Amino acid sequence: MSGLRVIGVLFVLFAFVSSVFVLGTMALDVEEVALSAIESAELAVDLAYEAVLEAEGVGANVSGLLVELSDGVEALSGAYMSSRVGNFDDAAYFADLCYDLVAGIEAEANELRDVAAVDRNQHLFLTSFGSVFAVGGIFCGGFFGWRFFKRRYHRRVLKMKPEVASNES
Amino acid sequence: MNLEEYKSVFAVTVLGLIFVAALPPVSMVLPLPSGGERFSELWLLGPDHMAEGYPFNVRGGEVQGPIYVGVGNHMGSSEYYVVYVKFRNQTQPLPNATASESSPLSPLYEFQFFLADGETWETPVSFIVEDVGFNGNSSFVAEVSINDHVFPVNVFSSWDSEYEGFYYQLFFELWLYSGDLQVFQFHDRFVGIWLNMTRT
Repeated sequence: MSGLRVIGVLFVLFAFVSSVFVLGTMALDVEEVALSAIESAELAVDLAYEAVLEAEGVGANVSGLLVELSDGVEALSGAYMSSRVGNFDDAAYFADLCYDLVAGIEAEANELRDVAAVDRNQHLFLTSFGSVFAVGGIFCGGFFGWRFFKRRYHRRVLKMKPEVASNES
Repeated sequence: MNLEEYKSVFAVTVLGLIFVAALPPVSMVLPLPSGGERFSELWLLGPDHMAEGYPFNVRGGEVQGPIYVGVGNHMGSSEYYVVYVKFRNQTQPLPNATASESSPLSPLYEFQFFLADGETWETPVSFIVEDVGFNGNSSFVAEVSINDHVFPVNVFSSWDSEYEGFYYQLFFELWLYSGDLQVFQFHDRFVGIWLNMTRT
């Protein structure tokens, strides 16, 4: 009878210890999952922001992408706040949400950057062409204008030349 | 004027016109430096969107606000900001903006957002000071709820005999993301409001 009691006590003790161990391990797992999700979301935001800055640098209109990025990092804020108060389930949820919101932005920004770069090159070509044409026009205009002016100037000076009057004495 | 003088005037005029005509493509290749100081604004407005009427005498469990926190970007490019909301008593450290040091206190709430150059951002903030206790010459705040998120704070405050109250401060720090370092850095700006905890 006492042997059965000992086995019973040992069984209860084993169940208690193993449940504590399992719950602790699960909590650790949830925390690790949340922190890993936050890390992935941070990386996605970094890459997207870098791409947006590049696109902005070549003159693309990135206002729409900034709104999308802001939606993403709002979720990331939620992940940080949840993780600070130990709510790792919510932290993982918000981090995953941030990742989903931000994931496509890098590609969109690269597309915008490429389009803006082509536009910029076309604009540069047209502006350069117009500029070269204008410089040539000014140069030719200056050259012929100067010749015309010089001829008129000489004619005017010649008209002003004093006439030699005959000395009738 | 003689012909030589006319020639000089003519040459200078033509060179000036050539310079003007060549400027557009040159400025596209070599961006001209933009003048002016680069900075960010941080502001805090009361419930009526004015710099007055901020919550001051506060009771535990009462909803305060909304107050409005805002940021303006004048940095010359799009920027990534975070505003940290912190809570302290009179003895806990504030940020030191001149030394570029943020307060070492942990943030409670935070707002992250991107802002294009010349744009502004503003959001309402409501808060409740919860689980407030008084014991003789000291008071205790266990939790602060900001925009429906509850945060444990566990802050004591002693009776301020000079200003006659139990004072706490809710303050907002502005941080800016550094693309080179890939971290947020304190942007030397903070605003806050004093709260006098009163008994119910």
